[in-house]
Amino acid sequence: MTEELQIELNGVDKHYGAFHALKGIQLAIPKGAFVALVGPSGCGKSTLLRSIAGLETISGGEMKITDEVMNNVPPRHRDVAMVFQSYALYPHMTVIDNLTYSLRLKKTPKAEARKIAKEVAATIGLENLLDRFPRELSGGQRQRVAMGRAIVRRPKVFLFDEPLSNLDASLRVHMRKEIRALHDRLGATSVYVTHDQIEAMTMADHVVVMRAGVIEQQGAPLELYDRPASQFVAGFIGSPAMNFVDGVTNADGTAVTLDITGAPELQLPRQVACNEKVTVGLRPEHLSISEAGQGAITTKISVIESTGSTTYVGAGDAGKITIVLSERRDISVGDTISLGINTKDIHLFDPQTQMVI
Amino acid sequence: MKRIRSSIIDGVGFDLVLVGIPLVFLILFSGLPLVYNVLMSFQEVDLFSLGEVFRPFVGLKNYRALFAQPEFWPIMWNTVIFVFCSIGGQFIVGFGLAVFFNTGFRGSTFIRGLFLVSWVMPGLVVGATWNWILAGDFGVLNYLLSSIGVISENIFWRSDINYSLWAVIITNIWLGTAFNMILLSVGLAGIPKDLYEAASLDGATAFQKFWTITVPMMRSTTGAVISLGLIFTLQQFDLFAAITGGGPANSSNVAQYWAWELSFRQYDFARGATISTIMIAVVMVASVFYVRSTRHEVRG
Repeated sequence: MTEELQIELNGVDKHYGAFHALKGIQLAIPKGAFVALVGPSGCGKSTLLRSIAGLETISGGEMKITDEVMNNVPPRHRDVAMVFQSYALYPHMTVIDNLTYSLRLKKTPKAEARKIAKEVAATIGLENLLDRFPRELSGGQRQRVAMGRAIVRRPKVFLFDEPLSNLDASLRVHMRKEIRALHDRLGATSVYVTHDQIEAMTMADHVVVMRAGVIEQQGAPLELYDRPASQFVAGFIGSPAMNFVDGVTNADGTAVTLDITGAPELQLPRQVACNEKVTVGLRPEHLSISEAGQGAITTKISVIESTGSTTYVGAGDAGKITIVLSERRDISVGDTISLGINTKDIHLFDPQTQMVI
Repeated sequence: MKRIRSSIIDGVGFDLVLVGIPLVFLILFSGLPLVYNVLMSFQEVDLFSLGEVFRPFVGLKNYRALFAQPEFWPIMWNTVIFVFCSIGGQFIVGFGLAVFFNTGFRGSTFIRGLFLVSWVMPGLVVGATWNWILAGDFGVLNYLLSSIGVISENIFWRSDINYSLWAVIITNIWLGTAFNMILLSVGLAGIPKDLYEAASLDGATAFQKFWTITVPMMRSTTGAVISLGLIFTLQQFDLFAAITGGGPANSSNVAQYWAWELSFRQYDFARGATISTIMIAVVMVASVFYVRSTRHEVRG
């Protein structure tokens, strides 16, 4: 079955003077997908979103929305709606006027426009706020109005530019679910920009990790977690971040000696180049504390941070190895522990190219 | 001495000093003359009683006499035309320029700054310069208008009773445009860019964005600019003195210039004060609008 594509980017480039913001972006987004663009600030994710919206003109390559080339089509003819980080509500209009703005531009009869807006307002819990001005709303309510304004238009594509970053933590978790539920109900295609990998992992079907204007890796959330293609993706996806330890492979390439005092050889999941320097990646949640002498790495605890449900343990030289424990253990700072790891959970990276081995 | 020093250092009473100094200044140099002016409009004033404060009270006699003068209503009408057209012209040209410079092309801030030159120049110098531009025989304005075919024979702007008021209005528009543009530019710069982006995605054309975003978002700035414009236009004196002197035959005379003429040319201080009092009332209404519109600023 070939999936129908909603957005297609072929070798898209964007230059700002000498600055190369997007470098040969290759991306295909199927109809109905929820795609998250994630990466550190300045990686080009917002530029990419704004290029899809038409707020930025791309310098090279080709961009299609439902098989139509959109390179030079102005935003108002692209049939996409965007939820801004700042919400960008029209401050001089009431909530209902904000919601009906696009309909009024299209000369929709007033009664019909109000009816549509009221229906949308009811689905997102705004029905009692229709006559308020944006300045009279809380952050969460403004966020809803911004979403409502996008929904009213029934666009082909929803674009979200870090919509939750101005909300407090608990509301953010709640809105995360709500946006995803809304997406499923409307059956639209969504592109969601965030710098928060948890948002990307929990909401999206397809995660695109960007860095310095290029797509580092894209795929299903768990695929990125299980099989990161580079040290950057490995460190970016997953929280707390993956531990990276230098090491050297042995003479036949089946085991690695970690650059930690008192660490024995660690068996590798597959054979690699022999006598080679490598970076070993170990996820904090894959490390376990076993009886002294039983595990792979013997080390001392230097930090313990407990949140109640989980405990973060810092061990190794200068506490640079983080371990996440979900059960409580009777441990304290200064204890000598032994860390166990499953051979299949070891990630290996080339220290030069930073790519996975 | 020590107490004053420490009271400043402690900050106790310092706020009162800060408010007090401008308050005393305002009462002394603005408040008292205003009251004196109003008082004078109800008195009989001649050259012999000029130095006194309490002169014979005559009630509304000065007002009645002023209204009865045949030139009163024409001059008031001139004032209305002058104020209305000056403000309208300054605002429209100023808004246009503000929108133009707000597009942010290369060098736009520099050129916008140059516009302030017109505002820095003394009114009399502006008047003298425009006298040459407006000159009937060799003026640039006539040359321009005739070369694009608007007029077939020269207009004697300053001496033709049909055009003399317009000569001053045109000059005043030129003079006040820069001030309007700067204030309106500040207002435009305060409109968040993402509103325009949201509007373009919502399907608005450039024209629709102007009418549905720019104009309503500029409402409070517009109110402030027009109220200030009214005050400044009613103060405009230099240009009349430099260009037409209110003539010919009062055809370009306006209230503020007439007040000066009555007081300091004809030494009829009571009538001069009467006109000033009427103008104070108008300006006070404008100030209320100004204060209200700056208080109701809508941002975010």
